[in-house]
Amino acid sequence: MSVDWKRFTFLLVAAGGAGLAWNALSGRGFAIGQSVLVEAGDELLKAPAAKTLLDRGALFLDARPRDFWRMSRIPGALSLPEEEYETTFGELETRIRRASAVVVYCGGYGCEASHSVARKLRERGIPAGILDEGLPAWEDAALPLDREPRS
Amino acid sequence: MSAFLRHPRLHLVLRLLLGGFFAYASLDKIANPAAFARIVYQWQIAGPVASNLAAVTLPWVELVAGVLLIAGAWKREAALVIALLLVVFLGAAGSVLARGIDVLNCGCTSVARTEAPSSWPPAWTRGVGWFLLTRNLLLLGGALVLVAVEPGREEEEGGPATAPASV
Repeated sequence: MSVDWKRFTFLLVAAGGAGLAWNALSGRGFAIGQSVLVEAGDELLKAPAAKTLLDRGALFLDARPRDFWRMSRIPGALSLPEEEYETTFGELETRIRRASAVVVYCGGYGCEASHSVARKLRERGIPAGILDEGLPAWEDAALPLDREPRS
Repeated sequence: MSAFLRHPRLHLVLRLLLGGFFAYASLDKIANPAAFARIVYQWQIAGPVASNLAAVTLPWVELVAGVLLIAGAWKREAALVIALLLVVFLGAAGSVLARGIDVLNCGCTSVARTEAPSSWPPAWTRGVGWFLLTRNLLLLGGALVLVAVEPGREEEEGGPATAPASV
């Protein structure tokens, strides 16, 4: 007895097709073409567009845990970790409200912190863009990073 | 050793174990595809769109292959699919560990994101770590037996021989 490759292929195609059909028809599915982290009202910015804003004086907020910000950050970015939002926002509020534009970022497409912080800012009446796919996308676009250690 | 690997009861146990595990593992992911996609993102393997496709299709592959194994239909093909899934999962887990990414819930059997420390199963079985690698290697060994070894007939392996029907 050997593997029947037609059965094998049919199994994979049928199961994959069932998954796509379930996603489309069950009411539990989601849009496959974009991140599931994106919700209505989120403003995503590709890295080059974010760099343009940076050059125009936008304020960048790093939503990663503070130790990551201490190691490296987008130039001029302030640390506003998601888990410390309530305690840190007050310290930064004046600077954030004075900024011409605000962009939040975190550690990549799997990181939800930038979405969460941007929504919390919106709730306070501060529009904030989100760097699409986070710091790795910024680095992939060969944009500058500040690697000076901070305390 | 060869006789042991060919024993039909070993094959039955492996089919039920692998089929049951993968069919069970698929259910929560099928019920909550977006939550599973969030977990796949944390593995940081393939970008959001490819992760979405994996999150939508892989649980169904697990379910269909698992049910076929339990039912005893297309056994070798279903076992090969599961073996390939396990190779992919092992490679992905190795990549996650090598990059130092902390994945608290691998999404293997559940998509729950935050669970109480006392909840079952324990936290060390849910993350990407040595438990996951060891378990998947054992499951892969079982799947490869089903793919590569022809099971013997029950009476050949010392099991109960079927008596000829008396007239």
